[in-house]
Amino acid sequence: MLVTPSLLSAAKAVYSVSLIRAASAFFSLVNCLIQCKLLPVKQISEEAVTRKFVHEESSSITSLCGAVEACLLHGLKKRALGLFKHGTTTALLQKLSKHYEPAGQVLKIVNEIETNNDPTRFSKLFQHGVIQHKHNNSRPPTIYEEDTNLNRVEYPTSSTESTKSPSKGTSYSMLVLQRVFEAFPYLKSLDSGKAQPKKTLPSYSPKYLWLRIAIFEKQLAKILDYLVQNNSKYYEADALIADPVDGPILASLLVGPCALDYTKMKTTDHFWTDPPADELVQRHRIHSGATHHLAGPGSPKRPGLQQVRRHTSSSSEESMKGQHISAKEYVESLHQNSKNTLLYGKNNVLVQPKEDVEALPGYLSLHQSAEGLTIKWTPNQLMNGCYEDKEDDFDRRSIYKRYYQPPEVSNILYWDYALTIYVDEIVYIHCHQQPDCGGTIVLVGQDGVQRPPIHFPKGGHLLAFLSCLENGLLPHGQLDPPLWSQRGKGKVFPKMRRKGNKIPTKEGSTSSSSTDEEEATDYVFRIVATFKPDNIPPEMLDPKLNVKMDNFPWPFQNVDPIPPSQSTMQSYARAQEEQNNSCLSRVAANHSRATIKQLCDTMKNQIISRAFYGWLAHCRHLKTVRTHLSGLVHHSIVSPTHPCNANLGLTPEKWQEICQDGKIANPDELYRLVYYGGVTHEIRKEVWPYLLDSSHPETLPEESSTAGTTPTAERKWSSREIYNYAPKADHDTQTEVDNAEHCDSEGNDVPDSSPDDGLGDSIARPGSLPDRSKLDSAGDSESTDASKLTHDGSLDRDRGIIVTKTSIDSAGVDDDLSGGESGEAQRLSQSQDLNEVPEDEEPNDKKNDNMTNSTGSENARHLSASKESLISPASPASNGGIYSPELLDNVALNLHRIDKDVQRCDRNYWYFTPANLDKLRNIMCTYVWEHLDIGYVQGMCDLVAPLLVIFDDEALTYSCFCELMKRMAYNFPHGGAMDNHFANMRSLIQILDSELFEHMHQNGDYTHFYFCYRWFLLDFKRELVYDDVFCVWETIWAAKHISSAHFVLFIALALVEYYRDIILDNNMDFTDIIKFFNEMAERHNAKQVLKISRELVLRIQTLIENK
Amino acid sequence: MVEDRLVTMQIWDTAGQERFQSLGVAFYRGADCCVLVFDVTAQNTFKSLEGWRDEFLIQASPRDPENFPFVVIGNKIDLENRAVSAKRAQGWCHGKGDIPYFETSAKEAINVEQAFQTVAKNALAQEPEVGMYNEFPDQIKLTSEQNKPREGCGC
Repeated sequence: MLVTPSLLSAAKAVYSVSLIRAASAFFSLVNCLIQCKLLPVKQISEEAVTRKFVHEESSSITSLCGAVEACLLHGLKKRALGLFKHGTTTALLQKLSKHYEPAGQVLKIVNEIETNNDPTRFSKLFQHGVIQHKHNNSRPPTIYEEDTNLNRVEYPTSSTESTKSPSKGTSYSMLVLQRVFEAFPYLKSLDSGKAQPKKTLPSYSPKYLWLRIAIFEKQLAKILDYLVQNNSKYYEADALIADPVDGPILASLLVGPCALDYTKMKTTDHFWTDPPADELVQRHRIHSGATHHLAGPGSPKRPGLQQVRRHTSSSSEESMKGQHISAKEYVESLHQNSKNTLLYGKNNVLVQPKEDVEALPGYLSLHQSAEGLTIKWTPNQLMNGCYEDKEDDFDRRSIYKRYYQPPEVSNILYWDYALTIYVDEIVYIHCHQQPDCGGTIVLVGQDGVQRPPIHFPKGGHLLAFLSCLENGLLPHGQLDPPLWSQRGKGKVFPKMRRKGNKIPTKEGSTSSSSTDEEEATDYVFRIVATFKPDNIPPEMLDPKLNVKMDNFPWPFQNVDPIPPSQSTMQSYARAQEEQNNSCLSRVAANHSRATIKQLCDTMKNQIISRAFYGWLAHCRHLKTVRTHLSGLVHHSIVSPTHPCNANLGLTPEKWQEICQDGKIANPDELYRLVYYGGVTHEIRKEVWPYLLDSSHPETLPEESSTAGTTPTAERKWSSREIYNYAPKADHDTQTEVDNAEHCDSEGNDVPDSSPDDGLGDSIARPGSLPDRSKLDSAGDSESTDASKLTHDGSLDRDRGIIVTKTSIDSAGVDDDLSGGESGEAQRLSQSQDLNEVPEDEEPNDKKNDNMTNSTGSENARHLSASKESLISPASPASNGGIYSPELLDNVALNLHRIDKDVQRCDRNYWYFTPANLDKLRNIMCTYVWEHLDIGYVQGMCDLVAPLLVIFDDEALTYSCFCELMKRMAYNFPHGGAMDNHFANMRSLIQILDSELFEHMHQNGDYTHFYFCYRWFLLDFKRELVYDDVFCVWETIWAAKHISSAHFVLFIALALVEYYRDIILDNNMDFTDIIKFFNEMAERHNAKQVLKISRELVLRIQTLIENK
Repeated sequence: MVEDRLVTMQIWDTAGQERFQSLGVAFYRGADCCVLVFDVTAQNTFKSLEGWRDEFLIQASPRDPENFPFVVIGNKIDLENRAVSAKRAQGWCHGKGDIPYFETSAKEAINVEQAFQTVAKNALAQEPEVGMYNEFPDQIKLTSEQNKPREGCGC
């Protein structure tokens, strides 16, 4: 093994990017075998530089370990050491550990890991290999395929390492290297070794474990150093380690990797998956911060209607839009992603963007996407601005950050300077090289316009860029003349053997324009669309003619010193321009004046007709708005500032003013205040009933609360009763075995979770203290009315008897069921009935004197009576209080569901202690009992919860919930409202944001707006934290009177609009968007969203008003 | 991680309550695998599997319904009161074209990993090499009624 001494310095130098050039220069001298050792080192350092830290499971580590392993095995005295059984060097470590402390440490850790058999570690390791594999998918295959072939052909391997080089494994290293080579194409020749140490997949066996550990523990260099010093003991004389030169170098090579910090942290790079919602938002914030939009992500900036108008009126907005988009694109597109491949990136490339501005350093990048190649140049100032608050998430990007401390500059100016050049539009590339600086590229477009010159720093960057560009152009285009591939040197500039004037200018020619400087070389490359061999002079097809004498990196000195024709390039460009112009003029000349006039007329007509159609479309648009959407909003606009500023909302003082003696003096003002500013939390408890009870805002809250108590209690009782007996009734009737089983399982399940809920327990529970005392007190207050209501009282007695009967039957039939228990149940139920009678009279009392409407039970009963096909218990009079088995089944099923959901409801929220969950359950059961036609549907608990949190009172919550459900019930399946919501959303988005609408159409899948389902179902309860839910809910309630009875639509729309740019930028499809909003749940800025919603309502209102 | 490939699974847990079944359509469509979960302590949940399976096949209308990958999971094996024997469940799965059957406890994390490995494997097997050169990473949509220990089965 031959290693040049310069290796050592290289290994050190390589740790800083600034020295990479030096490193690369000497790489060319390095023997092929040692490369397999060195390259992983370089990879790691590269990775370290670009990412700031290296992941433990980086493939480079694996490569390195493989290489070190190979070196260690080379010439190892296996026999002497008794190691022949072991293929690995682990045994060597064991030997070493006896004599050398660091080795002992490592061994200890290794043993620990092995004994613990830490599976996660290895599963992670394993995982990584495949992630790498995945990365590969996003790369255009042509580029590295070419590389591999190149290298494999040119460098037959001769390493001691097995040359398995699994093709799977190499792909990622190719990727990593590709990045290196993009920057330093002349290094390409060096990467032959990379395939050899790669055993990516096999390496996940614990084989390299100790090497890994040693690296992470920063001991490997020491161990190797020790080995080298004591080589005679372990190694044959001809071993690599024993080599007086190579050995120490090897050890010192590892100093670098051992100095790095490794991390186990997964970075985004490791999972090339969709970025999480958080990150999307953050990304967005960054680039929106770069432009003027600081209000929040995507306050609705470009609503569709304005866009329509823009077509007919001014185009100034267009440019604004363009700027904004380019700003965003910069941030997005500068990164490699699945749709966009970064072929080349170089920082500190000078560009003079404008004549009056001096040349600025910036980041030059070459991107490949489906649309083609793009060259971008971004001033450093922008790069800094962009990455200011990025930490380590995007390691690949942090490379930019490293260099520049973020100065506080207004970035807006720089956005003007940033360049985006589509290579498709470029015809000629002029390269100027001066010995004193790196070189300049001027891109000339089809129109002959020169783009600002790009000054590359010294050190072959220009060539690197060109070769990357050439790679990127393949297979559909190429540089003409092509760069020459040189054995061992990578790409070089083509050499032209100039033969007088023989080479036509079109072919792209070399010339050394500056006469006074011998080394300066200028080239003109043409970008041709397809490979045309005819275009290439014969001598170029045989590069060997000149190659042999070339010296890396710049072979141009050898170019025949042919005096350049006067600034060839310029004249060339000029000629080109002239040609173009003459074409045009020829066309023009062929037409007479008359035809020109005709032409103008046609154009005029076209313009006018287009304008007309645009206008027509706009009119239709407005018509749609009016006919379709005018129903969604109130037509009168309520001012937020008149009579007073409502932004502060309903404060206790205001509330005192408005609510006098329990009457609302000015309901409109109340609504206005709530709509624009919300309610102070302390008075929510008082205000909410008014807000909810829309029909009679002047009702006294006291009345409603007292009225609420007793019916609730009654229903609670009745539901309890069913709850207890329904399962047995099922058994009795034997109608539905499944349901019976269901109920059985319920009986079995419940005791597990809370002992209180068991069958026996729940029977006993009605007698428990809090309930009874409550009922008693309620009973006391109402007992005076008891005499009136014999009719209803008897009904209830009927009910009690029947239920009891079924329970007796069931006790008789099901002998296995503990008969004693049911007997007890029976007794208890009878006692319940006794208790119950006075209470039951009360709601009927209320029914009789139609004074109370606050509970809403009236309406609900009518509703249920009309809709109900089953016999509803809610209208006992109609069925004489007899409960059919089906009904009992139904109730039991509902109660079972309620129990499950109540237990799960907001278990992390402080309020929901078991006692309060019990309240929730009572309310829910009561509601379902009263609305058995609707039944319990998942989600209802969520609607009760915030009310209960505010009121902390079962009765009041129940009555308010009933009010709430008047609107919400239709949202639940089979209510039909959801489809309406979706349809309305669709229309609204179409009207207000046509761009987004188009996007949704493209991704056709989610025009049905399922991602809004939960929003509408639960009034955003699950999307927001509790405090925000309160605000949003009261705003919705108030909005009904102020602006729109469908305010939820506008909130939904505001949410979509709030993130519209993220949705658009990331081209989210149906699943993406669901995922995004799921992740964003409870993290929305409710204040902002509400504000946007109000604005949206206002916009629709003004649209309609304008007519 | 299935056979060297990192797999990102997108798992839709459909609403347990059949009231929401209409919603399922949107989520079933395009699924690569369907996981049917039942509660080993509740007979009826097992009995509903058939219905769920049919429902899925109708709604999702996969190209090859005979070979569409299903996985059946009997959950809550940590509980004492078993109502569905493994044999019975196995038998049912066998009758439906050898659907893989797993008995899991989400609470105790028993067998969950294995079950989902199988899910991913079978889903991948459906489209062998297509995913490799896709522009997007493989996404596997899964449907499971529920897989939390305390959740009742909505079947």
